[in-house]
Amino acid sequence: MNTITDAILRFYESTIFVYGLVLILVYALLAILSLVAIRKYLSRTSQQQLDALAGSQLAPGITILAPAFNEGLTIIANVRSLLTINYPRFEIVIINDGSTDNTLEQLIQEFDMVAVDFAYNEKIRTQPVRQIFKSRDLAYSNLVVIDKVNGKSKADATNAGINIASFNYFLCTDVDCVLHKDTLLELIKPILQEGKKRLIAIGATLRIANSSEFDEGVMTRMRPPKKLLPRFQEVEYIRSFVLGKMGWSYLNCVPNVSGGLGLFDKEIAIKCGGYDHSSFGEDMELLTRMAIFCKDNRIDYAVRYIPRTLCWTEGPATLQIFGRQRTRWARGLAQLIRSHFRVFLRPRYGRFGMIVFPYNFFFELLAPLIEISGIIVYIILAVSGYINWPYAIMLLIFVYTYAVMISTLAILWDQLSFRYYKTVREVLSLCLMPFLEFLLYHPLITIFSLRGYFYYLTGKRSTWGNMQRQGFKKAAAKV
Amino acid sequence: MSKILLVEDDEVMPKIISRILPEPEYQVDIAVNGKEAMQKLEANNYQYDLIITDIMMPYANGFEILSKVKSHDREKPIPVIIVSNAGNEDMIMEGFKLGVDDFLKKPIIPAELIIRVKRLLMKR
Amino acid sequence: MNTTFSDIWQEIRYFYFNAPLAIQIAMVFIVIAVSATVIAYLVILRSRYRSYRRTKQLQKLLPKIDDLLINEILANPDIPQDVHPSKIDLPLAPFESLPLQKRWARVAMTERIIHFRSNVKGNAGALLRNLYLQLDLDKDAARRLKSPRWDNKVRALSEYVSLELPISDVTLLPLANSRNRELRAAARQAYIKLSKNEPFKFFDSVTDPLLPWDQVELFRIITTTEDIAIPNFARWITYSTNKSVIAFCLKLVVHYNQIAAVPAIIKLLDNRDHYLRGDAINALGKLRVKEAEDKLVQLYNTQPMFCQVEILKALGRTNSGKYVDFLRNEFTHATEFDLRKAAARSIARNSGRAREVMEELLATTTGQDLLILKHCMNPLIKY
Repeated sequence: MNTITDAILRFYESTIFVYGLVLILVYALLAILSLVAIRKYLSRTSQQQLDALAGSQLAPGITILAPAFNEGLTIIANVRSLLTINYPRFEIVIINDGSTDNTLEQLIQEFDMVAVDFAYNEKIRTQPVRQIFKSRDLAYSNLVVIDKVNGKSKADATNAGINIASFNYFLCTDVDCVLHKDTLLELIKPILQEGKKRLIAIGATLRIANSSEFDEGVMTRMRPPKKLLPRFQEVEYIRSFVLGKMGWSYLNCVPNVSGGLGLFDKEIAIKCGGYDHSSFGEDMELLTRMAIFCKDNRIDYAVRYIPRTLCWTEGPATLQIFGRQRTRWARGLAQLIRSHFRVFLRPRYGRFGMIVFPYNFFFELLAPLIEISGIIVYIILAVSGYINWPYAIMLLIFVYTYAVMISTLAILWDQLSFRYYKTVREVLSLCLMPFLEFLLYHPLITIFSLRGYFYYLTGKRSTWGNMQRQGFKKAAAKV
Repeated sequence: MSKILLVEDDEVMPKIISRILPEPEYQVDIAVNGKEAMQKLEANNYQYDLIITDIMMPYANGFEILSKVKSHDREKPIPVIIVSNAGNEDMIMEGFKLGVDDFLKKPIIPAELIIRVKRLLMKR
Repeated sequence: MNTTFSDIWQEIRYFYFNAPLAIQIAMVFIVIAVSATVIAYLVILRSRYRSYRRTKQLQKLLPKIDDLLINEILANPDIPQDVHPSKIDLPLAPFESLPLQKRWARVAMTERIIHFRSNVKGNAGALLRNLYLQLDLDKDAARRLKSPRWDNKVRALSEYVSLELPISDVTLLPLANSRNRELRAAARQAYIKLSKNEPFKFFDSVTDPLLPWDQVELFRIITTTEDIAIPNFARWITYSTNKSVIAFCLKLVVHYNQIAAVPAIIKLLDNRDHYLRGDAINALGKLRVKEAEDKLVQLYNTQPMFCQVEILKALGRTNSGKYVDFLRNEFTHATEFDLRKAAARSIARNSGRAREVMEELLATTTGQDLLILKHCMNPLIKY
C-alpha cells in the first residue's frame, strides 16, 4: 500500500478507536448513573404516597390523548381500561383519525355517545375535525371522541387532541397501548416534586406486550415474549429505558420521550406548534423542538424518566413489519438531525446542543454507517492479509463481552427494582438474548437503519400509505 | 335477610365489612373488580338490596357500576353507597349527579357505615 | 488436566505481555465484563430466590394477621365499647402465634395495621393503634428515626404520622430544618400532625418553597387530622413572605370556607406576583365573595391573560348578576378564544337576568361564538 492510503487507514483506525472508546465510556457511565437514578426513584416513591395523590383535590388535571386508526378490534376494551385509570382529575380524548372500519360506530354505541356542539379552537392546524362526541351517560363524562379527516399521521391526530385538551398537561399514548393504572400518578409526581426547573416531558419504561396476558385491556400476567424477534425487542427496551433513559435523565439529557407513553406540558407543546406531521419520528422531533424552544426563551427546563414499566405495547413479530418500523425510525432520525442541525455543538443550547444532539448525531445516526464502513475495511484488510488475527479476535471478544455485560446489567437493574415476571426461567430466557443479539438482532437493525437513510436521501414515497398505516400503529414503541 | 353487593379491589375492606355486617341478617357478596361486579349483577338479575362500591377499580369504575345499577330500574333503584379513598369535590358531585345515595370517604367509621346501611335498607 | 490448564494460562500470559496496550486493555476488560455478567446472574438468582421466599412467607402470614386483627380487635365482643380504646388491655396472647420476633414479620404486621387504619377510623382505628403500641412495634420506628440514613428517618416519620405517635418537638424541629428536602417535608408533616402546641408554627419560619407535592401531603394531613385546631389562615396570607405558603393557605381557606380571611385575600389582589394574584382571584370566586366583584372588574384590564380568565370564572361563581353586561361585553369583544369561552361559561352559570342575556346572545350570534355558547350550555360537556 502506498503512503496516502496508509495515512488514511491510520486516521480511520484512530478515529474508530476514539469513537469506540467514547461509546464504551458512555455506556459505563450510563450504567452507573442509571443505578443511582433508579435508587433515588425507589427511595422517594411509595404506594402510600401514590394513594395520597389519588385521593387529593390538589392533583392537577391531565388529558389523555389516544389517536385511533382502524382499531375496531380492541378499541372498546382499551377505552374501558383507560376509564379505570387511578387518578382524581382527568379526561380521555380518543381521536378517530378517519378510520375506515367501525371504530367510531363501536364507540358511539358502547358509550352512548352523541355529537355535540363543541367550541373547538384550532390552536394547531390539523386536518378538519368532523364532529365531537360526548356520552349521554354521566359515568363517562370524562370521555371525548373526536372524529376527524385522516391526516395520514399520528402527529396530525394527536394535534387535534391537543387542541381540545382541557388541562395543562397531556398524556400522549396509543389506543393499542395498555397502561398501568397508576400511570398518571407516577408521571405527574416528578412535576409536583420539582422545585426549580420546568418539567416539559416525563416518560416511563415501555415493554413488549406480545406474550403477556391481557383481559379486556387489563394486564394480568407479565411474560417475556416467546418468539425470538419480540424477545430481542424486550431486552432492547429494558436496556434503552431502564439503563439508557434513566442514566440520561439523571444528567437531564433525555433525547426522546417515547410516543407510546409520555406526559407533556401543553403550553410549551402548543407554542412549539405541536407534532410535525411530516416527521417519521414525531415524538423525538417534538421533544427536540420543545427543548430548543425552552433554550431560546430561557426557560430552565428538564425532561425526566421513571424506571417503572407503565405501558405495554405490541412489538412487531414479523421481520417485515419490524423492518418497516426501524426503517421509519432511522428515517425520522435523519430528518431530525438535518432539520435542527443549527443547535449542533452550540453552547447556547446548553446540554441539549452540547451533549444530546451531538450524541444522537455521532452515536445514533452515524453508528450504522461507521459499522458498515468498519466491516468493509475489515474485509479489505482481511483479503489483502493485513489483519493480525489474534488481536482482531481479541478485540471482537472484548466488544462482544462488553455488550453482553451492559444488557445483562440492564436486566439486573430492572430485576432488582421491580422483580418483574413470575419465574426465574422467564428472566433467564431474557438473559440469553444478549448473547445472540450481537449476531442476529443487531445486524438487522443496522441494515434497516441504512435502508431508512437511503429512503431519506432518495425521498422514497412509493410505500407511503402502507408504511404510514403500519407506522401509525407501531411508531408508538419508539425507543 | 338483606343481600348486599360489595365491590372493592382492596383485600382488607371486604374482610372488615363482611364482618361488621354479619350473617344471617346480611348476606355480603364480594366482587373484587368492576367486571366481576357486572357479572354478579347480571347473574343475580340485580336482586340486591344494597350496593357498596369503591370508585377506582380495574375493568369498570364505581361510577359505571352506579350508572348501570341506577338505570336498570329507574322506578325503584337499588341504593348505592360509595366508599372510596378518592373524595375530591368533583368526584362527590359526579357521584351525586349519578344518583348515589351516600358517599363515605376512607377511612370509615364502621359504626357509621352500619347505621347508614340500615337507614338505606329501611327506606327500601 | 492440570498441565493443560496451566499451559493455556501460560499461553494467555505470553500473549498479554507481548500485545500492544490497546489489546492489553481489551483483555483486562474482557475479564471484567465476564465477571460482571456472572455476578449479575448470581445477584438476579439470589434476589429472585429471596423475594420468592418472602412472598411465600407473607402469603402464609397475612391471612393470619387479618384474621387476628378482625377477630381479636375489631369484632371482638369481649372488648368493652364504653371504655376509651387507649385504656383497654388488649388480648395479646393470640398474637404470640405470629413470628413477631423476626423483623420482617414485624414490618408486615405494622404495614397491615396501617393498611387497616387507612380503611377504618374512629374507635376501631384507635384500637388498632393501641395494639401496635402494646405489641411494642413502635420500637422499630424509634430506632429507625435515629438511623443516620435519611430514607430510614423518612420511613420512621411516616409511620409516626400514620399511627399518630407522639414525638417531641426537640426531636422534630432539627429534622424540619434538615438540608435534605424529603426529610424536611416529612418532618413538617409530622409536626402538623403530632405537635401538641402550635401545629402550624413552621408556616411562620419556612423560607424554601413548599412544593406542590408537599402541599398535597400537607393538605391531606391537615384535612384528615381529627382533633386539629384550624387557625385563621389570613394571618399567613397577610404576613408571610413565602409565596408558596400564601398560595397553600388560599387553598386551605377555600377548603374550610373561611370567610374571615376574605379581607386578607382582597388585599392580595394588589400583589405584584401574577400567579399569586391569579390564585387570590380563584379563591375569591370559589368562596363566592360577591363584594369582591367590583374590585375584580376594576382590575380586569390591567391583568395578564390567565388572571383575566380567572376573573371571568370568578364572576360566574359569585353569580350576583351584577356584571352580566360586563361578561357579555367580554364575550362579544374579546379577541382571545379562552376569554370568550370563560365569559360565556360564566354567563351560563349566572342565573336571573343572565338567562335573558343568554337567550339574546343565542339569537344574535353566529359561527364559532355560537358554538362557544352552545358548548357552555350543554350539560354533557364538563370543561
